[in-house]
Amino acid sequence: MSVPGAPASMTGQPPSPQELRLIPTGGPLDLPAHLDRYGPFYLRAADRLISEVEQSGLTGRGGGAFPAGRKLRTVAQAARRGGRTSAVVVANGSESEPASSKDTVLLRSAPHLILDGIALAAAAVGASSAYLCLGERAQPGERFLLQAIAERERAGLNHVPVELAATAAGYLSGQETALIATLNGGPPLPTLVPPLPAERGAHRRPTLVMNVETLAHVALIGRYGAGWFRELGSAGSPGTALVTISGAVNRPGVYEIPLGVRLGELLQRAGLPERPQAALTGGYFGAWLPLPDALGVGVSEERLRPAGAALGPGVLAVLPESRCGLAETARIVGFLASQIAGQCGPCVNGMPALAEAMNWIAFGQPEADLVGWAQQLTRLVSGRGACHLPDGAAALVASAISVFDADLRAHVAAGPCARAGAAPLLPIPRPSHPSDPRQPEGRPTRRQLSRRPG
Amino acid sequence: MSTIPAAHTAAIVVTSSTPLWYATRATGLVALVLLTLSMALGLLSSVRFARPGWPRFVTLGLHRNVSLLALAFTVVHILTSVLDGFVHIPIQDAVVPFISSYRPLWTGLGAISFDLMIALIVTSVLRTKMTYRSWQIVHWGAYLCWPVAVVHGLGTGTDTPARWVLVLTGLCVAAIVILTLWRLISGWSARPLASTLGAVAVVAIVIAGTAWLRAGPLSPGWARRAGTPPAAQTHAGAARAPGAGR
Amino acid sequence: MSARPAGGRAEARAGHGPRLRVNPIACEAHGVCIELLPELIIADPWGYPIIRPGPVPDHLLPLARRAVASCPTLALFIREPK
Repeated sequence: MSVPGAPASMTGQPPSPQELRLIPTGGPLDLPAHLDRYGPFYLRAADRLISEVEQSGLTGRGGGAFPAGRKLRTVAQAARRGGRTSAVVVANGSESEPASSKDTVLLRSAPHLILDGIALAAAAVGASSAYLCLGERAQPGERFLLQAIAERERAGLNHVPVELAATAAGYLSGQETALIATLNGGPPLPTLVPPLPAERGAHRRPTLVMNVETLAHVALIGRYGAGWFRELGSAGSPGTALVTISGAVNRPGVYEIPLGVRLGELLQRAGLPERPQAALTGGYFGAWLPLPDALGVGVSEERLRPAGAALGPGVLAVLPESRCGLAETARIVGFLASQIAGQCGPCVNGMPALAEAMNWIAFGQPEADLVGWAQQLTRLVSGRGACHLPDGAAALVASAISVFDADLRAHVAAGPCARAGAAPLLPIPRPSHPSDPRQPEGRPTRRQLSRRPG
Repeated sequence: MSTIPAAHTAAIVVTSSTPLWYATRATGLVALVLLTLSMALGLLSSVRFARPGWPRFVTLGLHRNVSLLALAFTVVHILTSVLDGFVHIPIQDAVVPFISSYRPLWTGLGAISFDLMIALIVTSVLRTKMTYRSWQIVHWGAYLCWPVAVVHGLGTGTDTPARWVLVLTGLCVAAIVILTLWRLISGWSARPLASTLGAVAVVAIVIAGTAWLRAGPLSPGWARRAGTPPAAQTHAGAARAPGAGR
Repeated sequence: MSARPAGGRAEARAGHGPRLRVNPIACEAHGVCIELLPELIIADPWGYPIIRPGPVPDHLLPLARRAVASCPTLALFIREPK
């Protein structure tokens, strides 16, 4: 179990199980300190690295949990098939999820790990260029990152040139295909898959889009091997991961955990001042876990999925007894409805309707068939768009209806509870009206489609 | 004393190849009606017109077939005008605008309309081989193709001053204007500026067109002003228009 | 995320064969496919197509191809199995 505050080794040895692997204590490391801590950096043969990552069982840490080794292999194969077209590496530090801060912290504290990962991945897939995409909260650190890149340039450690790119504002902008769309010069709108970005992405070249934390793990696997990586975590979910703990805890922040650690243990570390009612896992497109029932569940994709939740980008937000889960959910869904791309009819029509229904469920006195309508909406919007934003909202609503069913019955019987009027717990980036599907900047949806039902 | 207006006299051409000339005029009018019908069906499709007994695919299927029919009649119209030896109109005048010796501007408009028609139909046949966007952009050419065909008809048409022709043309124009305005209104919430400009343009074009009609084809001396070769113009008052008496 | 449109048994859904798909970005709810292929496509409350899960039955394949060709925005397509 990693314990914040343990001394980092300074001898280039792999971090021991007691140490944090990713985030150094004592602030960001410059290049010499970084090399001192982790040892010298050297490129690995492409096939060797890909096999190593495959054996490590590393999965994407951006939310998709896709096997990283398989992704590397797909892009490498696509680049080889493409003849002279070389691939592109896109390091995704967008972190558009409001309740997550791990990528921003990682970019600030361990940029060289991420850059190591980019170089290794670029060599493995045959890329000739790379982008490091910074979300809104990471953009203030741009200058520092430019310095780090320049340092590496001088030391000859950049396998490919790394260009910094600013991710557009908005929840969807960090989505894989939307991010590629901005790199291609267009607005941050998801595109239909297939073709996969691995086949044709940025500038029509095979593109590897990987979360910055995943790349940091790749950097460590490249140095110390799959066996070392698997020393922590569980057999089904090996390695460590960064999670952002927020909500009603004494010590909110970014924690590095071995995957599979029990939720209760983790929340104890973060300190629980009040009785917890539920935990939002995964992010705003994730799901609620009832507490204290779920305290024994392991924090990993493997363990959370059967419990009806997901790890996603490692968001864990604790809802105390003093708040209303339906109210928080309604606010989140309203936010998500304001963030839609506006390209797909079912979402353009269904998301505002879902937000409206949730609003009434949380803050009005809903009839029982309104809940049924909300559930029908969750089925209507799922799996019918170009991206998974509506799917996530649907999953969140479905889990809220299930986990907070006692509150639901109380709202149906007697209107909103007093707790629904409490101040919002979870951060909602900008005030947005649930039935107005505009981007926060006021950019209208791409197409206003007719809303007539039936 | 002749009661035939001078415009008629100037427009009358007595020829020995009368059947071909009749065919040209007839097929031209029929082609215009079919083109109007095709355009109307296209507009109905874009406003998603449907009724219990008239599903969308009927509109689309008719639109396709009527367009092909319009093309067929246009081709016959071109052939008869080429084969008609009285005025020399070689085949290239039908596709290259403004090179004709017979009323170059107004015949040229026919060539433009025909070229657009070919582009519309060829791209639609090959629709699956191109992006939707490219097909869509070419298809907007219909908004040019049809009015140009109308003006071509009025400018070159022997029968333009005849009341029944004016009524027929008026009905065609009215139908398209109404449907176009309907289409603009239904798209108003998505694109208010473009829709308003479009509506203004439609009204302006109709007004300008009517004014031109009055000052041009319906006023005396049009054949000469339009560029009819002198050999094809009659001596003043020498003949009646076949079938134009009222 | 378990929310899926209802229809068909699990084995039928998982079968091999060509599948009818709609490009949700291109789809503008003209509804021609719903008219032409009601056996496989129904309309949601806003006029957008919901496609029955599972491969296209052989006897409906010609009709499915016709529906694909009739879509005004070319949003409907058939994904052949590899």
